[in-house]
Amino acid sequence: MHDIDDLERRGLPGVFVASEPFAEAAETQARALGLEVARVFVAHPIQDRTDDEMRSLADEALDALTRALTGASAPTQ
Amino acid sequence: MTEPVTVLDPTSEAAPGQRSLNPRPAELEGLTVGLLDISKPKGAVFLDRLEERLTTQGAMVRRYAKPTFTKPAPVDLRHEIATQCDAVIEALAD
Amino acid sequence: MYDRGWSDGLPLVPPTKERVLRMLEGTSRAGDEIVALMPPNLVECTVEKVAVNSVMAGCRPEYLPVVLAALEAVCTDEFNMHGILATTMGVGPVLLVNGPIATEIGMNSGVNVLGHGNRANATIGRAVQLVVRNVGGGAPGGVDRATHGSMSKLGFCFAEDEEGSPWTTLAEDRGFDRSVDVVTAFCGEGPRILVDQQSRSAESLVRMLAEGLLASVSPRTVMGMDGLLVLSPEHMARFSDAGWDRPRFMEELEKFLMVETDGILAGVGGIEEGLPPALAGLTLPKFRPGGLLVVHAGGPAGLFSAIIGGWVNGQMGSEPTSREIIR
Repeated sequence: MHDIDDLERRGLPGVFVASEPFAEAAETQARALGLEVARVFVAHPIQDRTDDEMRSLADEALDALTRALTGASAPTQ
Repeated sequence: MTEPVTVLDPTSEAAPGQRSLNPRPAELEGLTVGLLDISKPKGAVFLDRLEERLTTQGAMVRRYAKPTFTKPAPVDLRHEIATQCDAVIEALAD
Repeated sequence: MYDRGWSDGLPLVPPTKERVLRMLEGTSRAGDEIVALMPPNLVECTVEKVAVNSVMAGCRPEYLPVVLAALEAVCTDEFNMHGILATTMGVGPVLLVNGPIATEIGMNSGVNVLGHGNRANATIGRAVQLVVRNVGGGAPGGVDRATHGSMSKLGFCFAEDEEGSPWTTLAEDRGFDRSVDVVTAFCGEGPRILVDQQSRSAESLVRMLAEGLLASVSPRTVMGMDGLLVLSPEHMARFSDAGWDRPRFMEELEKFLMVETDGILAGVGGIEEGLPPALAGLTLPKFRPGGLLVVHAGGPAGLFSAIIGGWVNGQMGSEPTSREIIR
């Protein structure tokens, strides 16, 4: 979140990907940073996934990520 | 009757100014998208797949990795991304 | 004060102006001096804010220099308080105090050293955590997502029993003079007890301690996580009776902390967790060089020692970090 906040300050549209249990932490951090950092959440858990499962997660996240980086306003999912 | 007690504020009292996100491009085609790996296990597989898909959609992809997921990215890495890319995706915190 | 989110769950002492001013008398430093950038929000934290939180934690003014030095230690890039807050592992700063100040402010290094009953031990660690919570914004449920958490997140501070130890102190081992007041921050979980009531020789006890330490964090981790061993006086006596000093003890202990990687590879013993196949056929130390800290503390009776497991070490995680205490 700090990284994307900093990159937004540097003029770059950015989005941050985390697993679902971190939605609340991200919200707290966004509030403290003063920027509604664009973020997309994928299904938890991550650490014990197979590579195929990770690729499916990426496929599922792609639309939301593209939406977060394009268009007039960036939605937060 | 007890007197009201006045206590001092233990918090930072910092109220960050609310900023807005940068304007978004209409589409990613033809743009350079930075993929920043926070260096947690499995994140690279996720980003490999995003790279494939984004490239198919006509975006150019540059890959970055921060030394450890436990700390913010070093300033020179952030500078590098900001000067080389048009947009950035950071993954994957769990 | 609970409703404002200032508490760790326990009652707080109201930080009135009078109490905070009295607290500030405990340090020679100015109230508006910046102590550190406080994670996770990375905001400047002044001596006064530390004093306010120290009042709330229940500290006496003479504890304030220890709280300030501890905060300086944990807010370094090496210690990485930011990562420690954000990790799901239940670890927090374990604070160890060396030097004359420990006795002067009445810290406990004896009976119940890692437990309850001593105001300095109980409130210094708590004050550090309240600063992180209130100034830095690192509260559980928010940025702090620890799966279980541990008592080291509530506040974990103790002193080494220097007088009763025949060895050099931990601070001396880390390059400080014995006359200097030092706080060392170690990122760790709560303590676990290691029982050995039968060893009568140093040779036997050192093997037993090693066996216990091999399970620290997980029997399948090597070199990646540090550890802190708290030797009790009765266990220490086995080594001092045999004439072992600190270097000799470490040398002997390390012999029994070597791990054959073939026994802890992923899949071995029907367990999927483990080292990758590329590390097969090696013999590696359980702890990286310098990754095991050893201190002497505890009550005079009891053939136990305590092990405090660490977290990811080095550049990737947290380095044990010492700071001189400035009064």
